Order: sequence, then structure tokens, then C-alpha cells
Amino acid sequence: MTEVSIERLTKTFGSARAVDCISIRIADGEFISLLGPSGCGKTTTLKMIAGFEEASEGAIRFDGKDVVNVPAEKRDIGMVFQNYALFPHMTVDQNLAFGLEMRKIAKPEMRERIAKVLDMVQLGGYSDRYPNQLSGGQQQRVALARALVIEPKILLLDEPLANLDAKLREEMRVFIRDLQRRVGITTVYVTHDQAEAMTMSDRVVVMFGGRIAQIGAPSDIYERPENLEVAQFVGQVNLVKGTITAAAGAGKSRVASVFGEVAVDSRTDHAPGATVTLSLRPEAIELKAAGQGGAQGKVTARYYSGSIIDYRIALDSGETLHVQTFPNIRIAEGDRVSVHAPADGFWLLGAAK
Amino acid sequence: MKRPVFTLYCLLVYAFLLAPILVVVGASFNAGNFLTFPPQGLSPRWYVTFFHNDVFMRAIRTSLWVAAVATVISGTIGTMAALYYVQHAGRWKEAVRIAMLAPLLLPEVLTAIALLFFVYAIGIGTTTMIGMIAGHVLITLPFVFINVSASLESFDPSWDMAARSLGADRLTRFRRIMLPLIKPGVIGGALFAFIISFDTFTISFMLKGIGTSTLPIQLFDYLRTNFTPEAAAVSTVSIVLTLVVVIVSEKVLGLRIHRF
Repeated sequence: MTEVSIERLTKTFGSARAVDCISIRIADGEFISLLGPSGCGKTTTLKMIAGFEEASEGAIRFDGKDVVNVPAEKRDIGMVFQNYALFPHMTVDQNLAFGLEMRKIAKPEMRERIAKVLDMVQLGGYSDRYPNQLSGGQQQRVALARALVIEPKILLLDEPLANLDAKLREEMRVFIRDLQRRVGITTVYVTHDQAEAMTMSDRVVVMFGGRIAQIGAPSDIYERPENLEVAQFVGQVNLVKGTITAAAGAGKSRVASVFGEVAVDSRTDHAPGATVTLSLRPEAIELKAAGQGGAQGKVTARYYSGSIIDYRIALDSGETLHVQTFPNIRIAEGDRVSVHAPADGFWLLGAAK
Repeated sequence: MKRPVFTLYCLLVYAFLLAPILVVVGASFNAGNFLTFPPQGLSPRWYVTFFHNDVFMRAIRTSLWVAAVATVISGTIGTMAALYYVQHAGRWKEAVRIAMLAPLLLPEVLTAIALLFFVYAIGIGTTTMIGMIAGHVLITLPFVFINVSASLESFDPSWDMAARSLGADRLTRFRRIMLPLIKPGVIGGALFAFIISFDTFTISFMLKGIGTSTLPIQLFDYLRTNFTPEAAAVSTVSIVLTLVVVIVSEKVLGLRIHRF
């Protein structure tokens, strides 16, 4: 189907660079998320791919062909909007038929394709309803169906789940991901929700201030973040100061910290003696009763949330830690604890500032 | 306010608004020779007189014709202006709005005199109806503009983007998406335009050509020398005509608001 290549794409508004020289290659059938806080340029990037915003510089290629000068209506894209943007004066059936009419598809084939796609989004009996007679989740699925029925080259989704409530949002994540796999369409998904990006995407593009901070598989982004900003955006993180004692080969360095000396994965090289910042994910930490080795500390707060418990630990050495555990350990607020952190729970972020 | 008091208050407001109409309609069925209320006996004779009065018949035809032409022109220009105002005016937005509403803010007689000077200055004069129609367009334009821009403000730009992504060119998007969604505003504005044009006196009085006359002017002329119930019959017919226009456009064009 379609390979999308974005090359040195830039968008300037006056002197502001909303999107600053970004390059992404999206493989055929790949599901890619643009993830970042609002104002990071992710939506502008999507609009440039769609053709709603003109690129100031750079190229956007669909299968090698530059589309920068092709108007949106000729790019052959399917787009799902945050507010669904269903045409309120048309029934579900008419909404779906619209794109097919623009393509001059014959009536019988049109009927067939609409029926097929409605079936795919599980809205078989709803073709005569008006959008305002549907729930938010149903409208969302109609919007998806309308984008897919034209069999576009690529599917673009702009925060499509932002208006749904939490439970429905989780269902729709899985639904959209499964549907995308089945159809096999190249997909670009814009979101500010890291969990959404992680669960759905083949690869995540993390953006800050119009630039790409990191591109990688969700596990790569989470476990091997490029910098502190990325690490903090994709999840909660503890920062631990350490000192390099020796290079350990194969991208590892030996680092001494309050948790002892461990070999830590790293993407950068540091000379022995350098002070560095390590990240330590809250769920990698293990708590044991006091006096069982590791760093010693005291529980200052405990938050129970069903599937996990959040702890705040004040280490005797002065740092505070955020820890997440399964609720099968019973440690109360005020208890003294031993804190263990396995070597593979650490990641060397870079030189300490 | 307590409920019975409120009901009474509402009744009084309605009475204030509708009583003159009832008086006119009642007086038009007067059997006597003078415009009085209550009527001295009931008879449709003044309607018969009216329908056989060529001067009035000509005036009513002129009024309907001028109102129809003015409505079409005003509806088109007003809709286009509203589109520009809402979507493209940018920092000129406020200026555009004030300019479009100016005919409503200025005394009608000033507009009329200015136009009169203008049509003579450019050599058109009042031998044709161009001047009068231009005047009618001018004073009805704000009503179309207000109605259409109100419905455009609630037009979500992402509908247009969605239609673009589905492959619709500019004209198709206007015809299939925007126009149906702003239709209530366009029709509402056009109705206003028609009724105001049909009813206006000052503009027509200044700009009418020699020998032509609209219904309000003819009625005024008539009342200067006569005081028969025929005047009430004329008024009643014009009320009925206005109602017919409103009802027909609602049935035919669909004034009902879309189900959002």
C-alpha cells in the first residue's frame, strides 16, 4: 500500500517554527503515533500530511511521490477528527456515501462497501440514524468508517479519543488497533496521551517544541529514553545521581549510587569520575522489610489504587523516591523499608546538570 | 412574579401587539362608507372594490415584484458578505460588520436622499426601477447578513475539512455541506428581506419612478383623500400576503432547524 516519507518538514508561523525540520519514514502498514504536549507541533505535522496546512519547507512523499503541492482533496487520505466532524444533516449511510460519490463509485459497489465497513465497525443496523442519535463512541466509529470506506492511501487520526470517557477510551484503543491491523493501512495517530501512543503504535515519535526528541518502538521510548524530557513525558521516573566508575563495554557503564555499584545501560559514553543522572522507573523498585540490604528509607505516603499501590519513600540519604508495587505487599505509611533496585531498572540519561 | 399575574401580563402584551391587526381586519369588513370600528354591519363589499381598483392592483404587483427581486439580490449579496465576514475578514471583521449594518443604523430617510442624489449623479435617475430596487437591497441587506452570519458562526470548520479529506472540491463542499447547514439562516434572512421590502415606505417614496407606485405609497396617497374601509381591506390583504409568503417558504424550502 503506501509508504510515507517526511523529509526536513518545516512549518513557520511568522518567526515561530511550529514544526522544525522533522524527518520520519513510515513503513507500509505501520501504525505511528506523534506524541507530545500541546503546542509541540504534532497536529500541525498531521495537518501538513493531510494537506490542510501548507509546508513551509521540506517534502512529504507518498510512495516516493512528493505531495506537498497536491491539495488535500486530491491526496487520497482518510481523516478522523477529534470532534468526529460527521455531517449533521446526513444519515450514517449518507456520511459514508459522500466520499464514494466524490470518487464516482457505482451504486451497487457503494452499497457493498458501506455495508462491509459498517459491519467492520459493528454498526450494522445504524445506517439510517443521524449523528445526533448516536453515542460518542458510535459517532467515533462512524467517523472511522467514513475515513476507511474510501480505501485511502493513509489513515490520519487527530486525537480521536480525547472526547470519550476513560473506559470507552480504553476499549476504542484496542478496537482501532485491531481494525488497523486487519485493514493493514498506513496510519498516523496524533495524541498527547502516552498510554494511548504506547498501546497502539508500532513506533512512537516523541515531539517537543516542533522537533523530534525520539523515534522508536514504545518499549524503546519507555526503557531507553533519549533524554530527561522524554523519560518524564512517557511515564513517571525517579532521578538518581551517580558517578561513573568504569566503562563496562557493550554500551554499559559501571555507576556508583545510593543503590550500590551497578552496570547501567547507556547510549552515551562518559569518562570515569563523571557525575551522571540515572532514571529509575517506579515499578522497577522492590520494597522489603527494613534491614534486608539495599538503600534504607521510610514510607512517607501510600496511595492505593486497586491494581497497584503508589509509595513515596524518603531515603536516609536524602532523596525521595516514587515506587509502584503490586498490592500483595503490606507496607504501611511510616514503616521503615529496604529499597532494592535491579541493575536493569536503571537507564543512564546523561551527564548530571 | 406569581403565575396568574404573569399570565395576565402576557395577555396584555399580546393584546397590545395584535389589537391593531384585529381592528384593521374588523374594519375591512365594514358595510358602511367610513373607516370605523366596530364595523357598521358586515360585508365584503370593500374587498370587491379593492380587487376592481386597477391602481391598487398595479401597486400590489409592483410591490411583490420589487420585493422578490430585492430579496434575491439581497439574499445573494448578504450571504456572500456573511461568508467573507465569518471566514476571511480577519482583522477587518469589526469594520465589515459595521459597514454591513450601517443601513440599519442610519435613518432611512438619509439613505433614501443619498441614493436619490446618487442615481441622478450617475445618470440613471428614477425613470427605471433600478434606483428603488437598489434602495430596497440596501435596507434589507443587514437582515440577511445578520441571519446568515449567525448560522455560519455555528458552522464547524472541521466539517469542511472532513469533506475535503473525502475528496470534495470547493464548489461541492459549498453546495453539499455548507449551504444545507446554513440554510435556516439564509431562508430566515430572505424572509425578513422580503417582508421589509414589501412594507417599506420612505425608500420607495423617494426613489419610485414617476407613475409607478408600491402598495404602501398607494395606500398613503389614497388615505389623503379618502377614508373608506377600502384602506383596511388593502391592509388586510397585505397582512395575508405576508403570512402566505412565510408559510409557503416554510413548507417549500424548509425553515425548520436541522436536527443537530
